Amino acid sequence: MKFFLKIFIFVLPLSEAYAEGQKSAGLPQMDISTFPSQLFWLIVTFTALYLFMWKFVIPRLSTTIEERKDKISNDINEAENLNSEASKILENYDDKMNSASLESNEIVSSSKATMNEYLDKLKKDNEIKINAMITESEKKIHQQKQQSEQEIKKATIDTIKSIVSKYVETVPSDDEISKKLN
Amino acid sequence: MAADNPIDPIHQFEISKIAEMQIAGIDISFTNSSLFMVFAIAATMTLFILGLSKRSIIPNRMQMLSELSYNFIANMLRDQVGDQGRAYFPFIFSLFMFIFFCNFIGLIPYTFTVTSHLIVTFAFAGLIFLAVTLIGFMKNGLGYLRIFYPSGIPIFLAPLIVPIEIISYLSKPISLSVRLCANMLAGHSILKIFAGFIVMLGFLGFAPLIFLVVLYALETLIAALQAYIFTILTCIYLNDALHPDH
Repeated sequence: MKFFLKIFIFVLPLSEAYAEGQKSAGLPQMDISTFPSQLFWLIVTFTALYLFMWKFVIPRLSTTIEERKDKISNDINEAENLNSEASKILENYDDKMNSASLESNEIVSSSKATMNEYLDKLKKDNEIKINAMITESEKKIHQQKQQSEQEIKKATIDTIKSIVSKYVETVPSDDEISKKLN
Repeated sequence: MAADNPIDPIHQFEISKIAEMQIAGIDISFTNSSLFMVFAIAATMTLFILGLSKRSIIPNRMQMLSELSYNFIANMLRDQVGDQGRAYFPFIFSLFMFIFFCNFIGLIPYTFTVTSHLIVTFAFAGLIFLAVTLIGFMKNGLGYLRIFYPSGIPIFLAPLIVPIEIISYLSKPISLSVRLCANMLAGHSILKIFAGFIVMLGFLGFAPLIFLVVLYALETLIAALQAYIFTILTCIYLNDALHPDH
């Protein structure tokens, strides 16, 4: 600014040369006769502006700005609430998923156990049955063996008897033959 | 008359009567100065009436502009003075808008710059000085006199420091008013002088024209800056009155 003031001071004599014939040689700023009017109208206009700002502009602007701040903070609060709600729901869902999978595992394992039990029982029963059948059939085989042995003996004795009777007069008794055979 | 001379840089500051008026023998005629004061407050009012006509959460351009100026001054006052400054906000806000629009309207060719007259800026500065002094004594009682003797200064320096502080305190309204007035006066005179050079030099006038364009941009900056400086200094003086210990 000092720069401009210097230029101004430098140019001032120049301009005064142009202003030849002007009624007052000084600056218009120094003309005291205009002061009352300037002061009066300054007071009038500035008071009007002050009242306008004080009563009209500032209350409205401040409420608008406050409202906006409130709205923003409310929205942020609401968003935070929704966010926490959503994370709660997610937690709930996870819990449910976990418990459900636990439950299903239990069901699977318990059903496996019952199945195994049933199978074991079935096996045992069948084994018992099979063993019984085996012993029975062994018995039968034994009986048939004995029977067939006796039949073979008898048949052998009979055969021997018939052969012997052809060559010898006295036919040996059965007991004798069986004694000889053994 | 100066009106005969197209390149008289002082002519733009002359006050001419539009309507004669007198109260108790004192001349309070409606002049071109008064007219541009009315223009300045009309511009301010237009800005805020348009800005506040459709108040909404998402502002339109004019609302944005009025809220921007509101926040600018509110933040300035809060930073400089703190919460006690709230009561003076309407005055500070009006002061800024008035000086701002006076300075800017004055930049338009063939207009009058209200703030280029020392009596106007001195009226503001004197009012601020008186108000600040009154506030200082009302809030702090005689303790306000401490501003003339800053804490931490040895007592033997008091005879030196206290007169300096008193002089600097009393010169505040003068420096405040002269700063704004001289800036406007000098800037507008230079613009006018260089505009005159363009006419005088004829074809060679393009050189001062380029300079004028640059200067005009600078003057636009100064118009805003001086309004800001005037306002922030008012805030600083107010802060001194409310907290004299600093």
